[in-house]
Amino acid sequence: MRFRANIDNVTTLYRIMQCVEKLQKKCIIKFTEETMHVICNNEANEGGIQVWSQIKRDAIFSNYRIQSNSNNEITVHISSEALMGALKSASASATTSNSASGSSYDTEEVIVKLAKKNDQAVLNIEIIGSTSVGRRVRVAHDVKIEVMKPVDVARLTEPMCPEPDIHIILPPLQKLRTIVERMRNMAEILAIQANHNGCLKLSIHTESVKIETEWQNLSIPQMMKENSSQDNTDARPDPENLFSVLVSIKSFVKFLSSHVVSTTTIACICQNHCLILYVYIGDVADAGGVLTFYVPAIIDDE
Amino acid sequence: MSQAESLPVLKTSVHDLKYLSAVLRGVNFATRATITVTKTGLVVVVEESRTLLGTAYVFADVFDEFTYHPEVTEGQSSQQPTIQEEETDYCSAFEISLNTFMECMNIYGTASGSSSKSGKLKPFKNYGDESNGPESDDDQAEGAQDRGDKRSKPGGGRSEHFFGGSERGTGMRLTYIGPGFPLTVTLAQDASGPTTTCEIPTFDAEPHLELPFDSEKMVLKIILKSSWLRDALSELDSSCDKLAFIGNPPEIPEAGAQTARQRQRARMQAKPNFRIEAAGSFGNTEARFIRRMDYPNDRDVLESFECVNPVSFSYRFSHIARTMRALQTSVKTSLRIDDEGLLSLQFLMPSSTSRLNSGGGTSNFIEFRCLALEDDT
Repeated sequence: MRFRANIDNVTTLYRIMQCVEKLQKKCIIKFTEETMHVICNNEANEGGIQVWSQIKRDAIFSNYRIQSNSNNEITVHISSEALMGALKSASASATTSNSASGSSYDTEEVIVKLAKKNDQAVLNIEIIGSTSVGRRVRVAHDVKIEVMKPVDVARLTEPMCPEPDIHIILPPLQKLRTIVERMRNMAEILAIQANHNGCLKLSIHTESVKIETEWQNLSIPQMMKENSSQDNTDARPDPENLFSVLVSIKSFVKFLSSHVVSTTTIACICQNHCLILYVYIGDVADAGGVLTFYVPAIIDDE
Repeated sequence: MSQAESLPVLKTSVHDLKYLSAVLRGVNFATRATITVTKTGLVVVVEESRTLLGTAYVFADVFDEFTYHPEVTEGQSSQQPTIQEEETDYCSAFEISLNTFMECMNIYGTASGSSSKSGKLKPFKNYGDESNGPESDDDQAEGAQDRGDKRSKPGGGRSEHFFGGSERGTGMRLTYIGPGFPLTVTLAQDASGPTTTCEIPTFDAEPHLELPFDSEKMVLKIILKSSWLRDALSELDSSCDKLAFIGNPPEIPEAGAQTARQRQRARMQAKPNFRIEAAGSFGNTEARFIRRMDYPNDRDVLESFECVNPVSFSYRFSHIARTMRALQTSVKTSLRIDDEGLLSLQFLMPSSTSRLNSGGGTSNFIEFRCLALEDDT
């Protein structure tokens, strides 16, 4: 089992880990020949939110080499916080914003590789840089990992969801976040509604207040799927008809922490089932990857 | 219902809610507030511990549109006699959760420079937070700049700060149909942005504490720049539990004091006109400490000073701390105490200059009335 790569885009990887870390202490990373998958599927995770992401190899790595007995795939359990810490020390100097951490060197190269130290599998992250006076520095982090058995890997499955009732492109997540954070102070359940006219409504309804924020004229992406076009022909939905889903505000806020990586986000509502959010890293056209958030619906008994 | 809808009791709109929210923030310390609507504007009343009464006066010219239709007496069976009585004075009152209202106004994070903090406002806020006001305001202002907006800190006290900055304000429309209906707040930033509609339930107004201030019985009256009082109060340790306002009548300079040096010495020895003393205890040791803040009778500091006999009254520090937020926004303070120790603090708010008709506009102000502690001499 071998794995070695240069991390070219430390900042993006760091930001991805930032969002993941908000959800779970430990996450699963699966390296394949072409992609990296970051998965959070912990059942114990509060609110049941899951993240399944696919990041293209070339968006982050170069000189990528992978070899294993299971179809050249390596799947590991890793502490998201520890990995974030290691990446921070690599990216801090790159962004020159972190003088507090004492890293006064410029990162030149970051190499990640699979290693074994005292019978413990680790992900070794090596940062090579130079100080302001030109001296070379080498910083190495070992992040403990647990390599998953192929049997367990096979058991990892994405949540099954019905065909979404609607897809809609969300307004900038930063703006959504301001609003949802206000709402979080007042309620626990958020209702999300959207229709084919590009209207999106976020609302809370409690004894003490009723708030509804509405966006108009958002884009509805055209889904290029054969079966959906068939559906459209036999029953074109009323564009005014609102599809809605109730989710926990806390979970939704966790998803919104992904605003640091997002450019475009598509939300899909599966009524009474879940909310699916595709967060594109980089341009949609040549997205480096997609983070997919599954937020389970809260079924209202009323 | 349809009849009531055709004539809502209150219908107002404002193109930028920052000023309104800055004024209301000054009284946002109790869970419930009574809002009285009159032809001339809104009066927002909050009270705490049957001791402290805060009243914010927001005049109609703050709003771009302000229409008030007194409730119709006939045809509405649910009317109570007290409300009918009030109607003869043409005013309608209702109670709402002020904090919820403030949160709603700040839904886009544009009502103040301190969006994150105001969201965490709790009824039992540590006094330290408030007495350290100017510092925390700085933090907030920094936070605001981090988010890329150029708003000034609320403590700046100048109205242009409320309206300045390139960022477009948030427009708000308030509608109150009548008793039993919620207060409807509609907020929008710009045409492309979202619209938010909030419905805040209203309650029948309960009679609140009455603390009439009789100016005949006034024993101390001071008018001073708010920044002076703010600086003084923020210097006081937040662990204090009592605070005393002490006034001494101005002394007539000695007739013999001719030379400048003599006059200066006389001034040094003279009792200060106005003094604030705070007392508290440190843990178990019961150590008392007193910090004094002396104000010379200087025109620069005390704009006006009226005091005939020496007076001293104590108040609970936590109650005085409640006034800090209003004090920080205000430009001028009038401090009056009557012979029973009833304190009246009036904070003059900066006028809303961006209004077109602001030429002779009435100044909005916030008044606090607070009962003195009894055991003090």
